[in-house]
Amino acid sequence: MIPRLSSALLLLALLAGWELYCRSSGVSSLIVPAPSAVLATLWSEVASGRLLPHLRITATEMTLGLALGCAIGLVTGIVLAEAEFLRRLLHPYIVASQVVPKLALGPLFIIWFGFGMTSTIVITALICFFPLMENTVTGLRQVDPARRELFRMLGASRLQTLLRLKLPSALPMIMAGLRVAVVLALVGAVVGEFIGGRAGLGASIIAAQSVMDSSLMFALFVVITLLGMLFYQAALWVERLMLRHHLKG
Amino acid sequence: MPIEPQVEPHDPDFVAIERASYRYGTDPATVDGVDWAIPRGAIHCLVGRSGSGKTTLLKLAAGLLLPDQGAVRIAGATLREPGSQIGFVFQQPTLLDWHSVTDNVLLPISLKQKVRPQHRKKAAELLELVSLSAFAQRHPSELSGGQQSRVAVARALIAEPAVLLLDEPFAALDALTREELQDDLLRLCALHRTTVLFVTHDIAEAVYLADRVAIMAAGRLHHELTIDLPRPRNREMRYGQAFNALCRELRQAMDCAS
Repeated sequence: MIPRLSSALLLLALLAGWELYCRSSGVSSLIVPAPSAVLATLWSEVASGRLLPHLRITATEMTLGLALGCAIGLVTGIVLAEAEFLRRLLHPYIVASQVVPKLALGPLFIIWFGFGMTSTIVITALICFFPLMENTVTGLRQVDPARRELFRMLGASRLQTLLRLKLPSALPMIMAGLRVAVVLALVGAVVGEFIGGRAGLGASIIAAQSVMDSSLMFALFVVITLLGMLFYQAALWVERLMLRHHLKG
Repeated sequence: MPIEPQVEPHDPDFVAIERASYRYGTDPATVDGVDWAIPRGAIHCLVGRSGSGKTTLLKLAAGLLLPDQGAVRIAGATLREPGSQIGFVFQQPTLLDWHSVTDNVLLPISLKQKVRPQHRKKAAELLELVSLSAFAQRHPSELSGGQQSRVAVARALIAEPAVLLLDEPFAALDALTREELQDDLLRLCALHRTTVLFVTHDIAEAVYLADRVAIMAAGRLHHELTIDLPRPRNREMRYGQAFNALCRELRQAMDCAS
């Protein structure tokens, strides 16, 4: 309780310092708007109903990109962990594909998928894919050899061993990958909108920049941060639910 | 193919290890020409220091490894892979954390067929025999080390294997818990006259459990000793002169073998 209270007090102190600085230093609100101005802008965006459609679009892109990237990452991870030959064959190419900055591929995706949600979802999925795949491969390959021997002793098939031993054993690792993917999904969605979005929080930041509305940009940062924290908390909740027996004791 | 035991009641070679040898890569043989036979329903123990080849020999007997030379036969049929006629208890309990105690015990059944009420009843009976009825719906991480080992033994016996192989299953437990588990094991194995090969580094454990004990060193069996203590065994025997004389003889044999 005390750390949380201290955390909230620290935020209030920082905001108060920021407000004081803006009012006393005479810095232009175009460069650094005061927190009170940011709050007023945020309220007016919420009250006017302008914010909600953008928030909905970014949240949708983030959810779909995350789901697509995680699903492909999980399946690819399972295939690569189970088929040693494929892993050796394909892993260098997959790593190379991740070393390429995904955002540099944005203009190409706009040619392929057009402006709008699809390009952003693809970029988000591409970013989320890697942590899920890498953690799934690592988790599946680290299953306790004694338990693998137990399943051999019990005459379990390869599929039974995968579904009833390896995947449940690797679940903590896979869920850690999901947490990383959630954070990256927000980056993917917002920055994807910078490049090819017509609507959404990222596209709104670009629009605010074009009219030099720093208050609105800060207000959007606040919304993006809250959205990220909400998704992260949801991921933590799912993780606790899935690992409730792994974590006991 | 797994073999079905077709045995005579007193088959003296129910489990027969015949000149079995095994080496890992180019290392010297870990198991070197071992001959050993276990009659049906008997409990045999192998005692040896770490690295003496006990676990490898047990894995050969389980079909987890195949001998480079020689053969392992169970009920006359050559063993080529693990089968449902063999139960195995590992050094660690190797329970599945995400399953309840009952589901862990039922694992050998649930991998083969749909779990039916009679299987659940049998699991409950086994858990009662190892005093864990109250923990049936708990998860492994909520149990002590001794309780986890009991679950592992119950799991190995749920499919009523003809042969039970145990690889130092109680080594990590405190002395009192270990003695309790030894009594549990003897009681459970007596139910279906399970044939047992038990590997340990604890001489007293071997003498208490076994009908026959051998010393293993450098991949070979050295000193074989018949334990003629009466059954059922009880804790008082551990302090008797006969028990201690057998322990002393094995200890001296171990020193000579190493």
